[in-house]
Amino acid sequence: MAEVILRNVCKLFGKVPVVRDFSLNIADGEFLVLVGPSGCGKSTTLRLVAGLESLSSGEIYIGDRLVNDIHPRDRDIAMVFQNYALYPQMTVYDNMAFSLKMRKVPKREIDQAIRRTSELLRIDQLLDRKPGQLSGGQRQRVALGRSIIRNPHVFLFDEPLSNLDAKLRIAMRAELLELHQRLMTTAIYVTHDQLEAMTMGDRIVVMNEGVIQQVDHPETVYDHPVNLFVAGFIGSPSMNFLDCRILQNGDSLCAATDGLRLKIPAGKQARVQSYVGRDAVLGIRPEHIGLASDPARCDCLAGFTAVVRVVESAGSEKIVHARVEDHSLVARLDPHTRLKTGETVEFAVRMETVHIFDKVTGQTLM
Amino acid sequence: MSTPGSTIAAGKRAAAVVKTALFLTTILIWAFPVIWVIMTSFKARTDIFTLPPKIFFSPTVEHYVEAFLRSSDITRGIGNSLLVAGLTTLLTLLIAVPAGYAFARVTFRFRNQMSFFALISQMAPPIGLIIPYFFILSRTNMLNTYTGLIAIHMSLTVPFSIWLMITYFQDLPTSLEESAAIDGASPFTTFFRVVLPTVWGGVGVTAIFAFIESWNEFLYAVVLTGSRTKTVPVAIFSFLTTEESLWGPFTATGVSIMAPVILVALFAQRQMIKGMTLGATKG
Repeated sequence: MAEVILRNVCKLFGKVPVVRDFSLNIADGEFLVLVGPSGCGKSTTLRLVAGLESLSSGEIYIGDRLVNDIHPRDRDIAMVFQNYALYPQMTVYDNMAFSLKMRKVPKREIDQAIRRTSELLRIDQLLDRKPGQLSGGQRQRVALGRSIIRNPHVFLFDEPLSNLDAKLRIAMRAELLELHQRLMTTAIYVTHDQLEAMTMGDRIVVMNEGVIQQVDHPETVYDHPVNLFVAGFIGSPSMNFLDCRILQNGDSLCAATDGLRLKIPAGKQARVQSYVGRDAVLGIRPEHIGLASDPARCDCLAGFTAVVRVVESAGSEKIVHARVEDHSLVARLDPHTRLKTGETVEFAVRMETVHIFDKVTGQTLM
Repeated sequence: MSTPGSTIAAGKRAAAVVKTALFLTTILIWAFPVIWVIMTSFKARTDIFTLPPKIFFSPTVEHYVEAFLRSSDITRGIGNSLLVAGLTTLLTLLIAVPAGYAFARVTFRFRNQMSFFALISQMAPPIGLIIPYFFILSRTNMLNTYTGLIAIHMSLTVPFSIWLMITYFQDLPTSLEESAAIDGASPFTTFFRVVLPTVWGGVGVTAIFAFIESWNEFLYAVVLTGSRTKTVPVAIFSFLTTEESLWGPFTATGVSIMAPVILVALFAQRQMIKGMTLGATKG
């Protein structure tokens, strides 16, 4: 187990910067998730830690060792790849034994380690099979087994669940977490799936265009996004964004847009006072929009009327797409809510939870 | 009364009949000379040129006996062909497999230009190169030697084999090699224990293509070899002289040359087609 430190890490492909000034301390035993859209530099960052890409500038430490110029095999890391990267011509046993054989571990010790690890991952029945004879979930377990057998200091996961179907992905997510709790090895996990990031990470790092946007606990990132990008990327369905103008309305402030005039709670007004008369972006999470008639949702401060466009029934919830003037809004409602397409409905917003962003910089104001 | 369902079924049947007829016609056009050679090789000398040609005849192996037992030219030709094609294949693989891997994976100056050059060298018509090759071999005292012919055959087989191997290596995910590097394998161990066993099928297909190309090659062999080193496609012409044309032994030898090629193609056809379309089907 080891701490991983990245200091001012930069990576350029030709002249194109892919990772920019990335600095982060990953604590010993932490499960850190790098999340962001395709091309945001998260996989490259992971590959820099692995040593599969060379740094353009900056420093990477694993434990107290500067590893910039150290070969991947000597970094004491293990990596699980998106396509598992199992050696197709070798049996599961040989796949798991390979790294130990390369390190000249005695045969008996290799055998014991394989028995122990395969029992832990419930793949002890598959040791004689080749990867081509395994299901996706089994291959994933073998890839995991191959990485944990060496007892490395750091685990690196590059989108390991994205080739699995939805049901298996959820099951493997839980298994991975259970495994991490048992081994408590430092893990860096890359995914483009924000739900995976939210559910798995002790901390998550949201990246965009090679730059860290926010690093924090999943709940904090969700409840207090630092900018428009993070607010829009984390959460499904995404946060509703409405262009608005901050207006003075007597003693109070409100965020106004066509057909909507939402009063800003007194406790938060100071944060947007300097924006009076200026354009901003209003951000509302779908679950913070409720029906005005719903008593449970009535701790609201602002209401509006909207026309229902689409109702999606997801079993445990109802996702309602509604229109107010030219704005589209998505609300997450109770599954028993009865609404019809074309119906005009009174909605209410819990203004305590809404966000306002600077329209130019995208930074969160409240 | 016909229903829409039965009309559609009848249409499908008609289309299937037309398709099958076209398929059989194409096969027949391709196979006609082959069938003719095979039939002739089993006909008695007196049956070969009868008009109309005899489709039913009592088969004989006399031409095979004559070709192989009475003429040392053919047995030596087959021996030479096996030696030349075998060594050409082996040496081609020794060059093409590592070269294909380097072109597929290693970044170096002029990589694209070099791989393209390997390809365009294939486009020169062999007849245009025969005079310079003759002079080169003549000056280096390699006319009528196995080394000379193998070197020239390799100029045909190596470029194509490199390209074939490039497509096989490119088809491998780089994560296999990366995983091996993290597991502690050196580049050589990675190549021999992880990469090469994964592309064995491709190496096999490349070997078959190289062998067939060398085995069938006639133009260079006829000019650059002599009585000692001539390969079987050249040796077969000893049956056609100005005095007589021994079509029976000629066709019997022809069948013997074709048989291994056709058998290999039949057994490895799936892998060979995959080899030819590998680059084309990648997503």
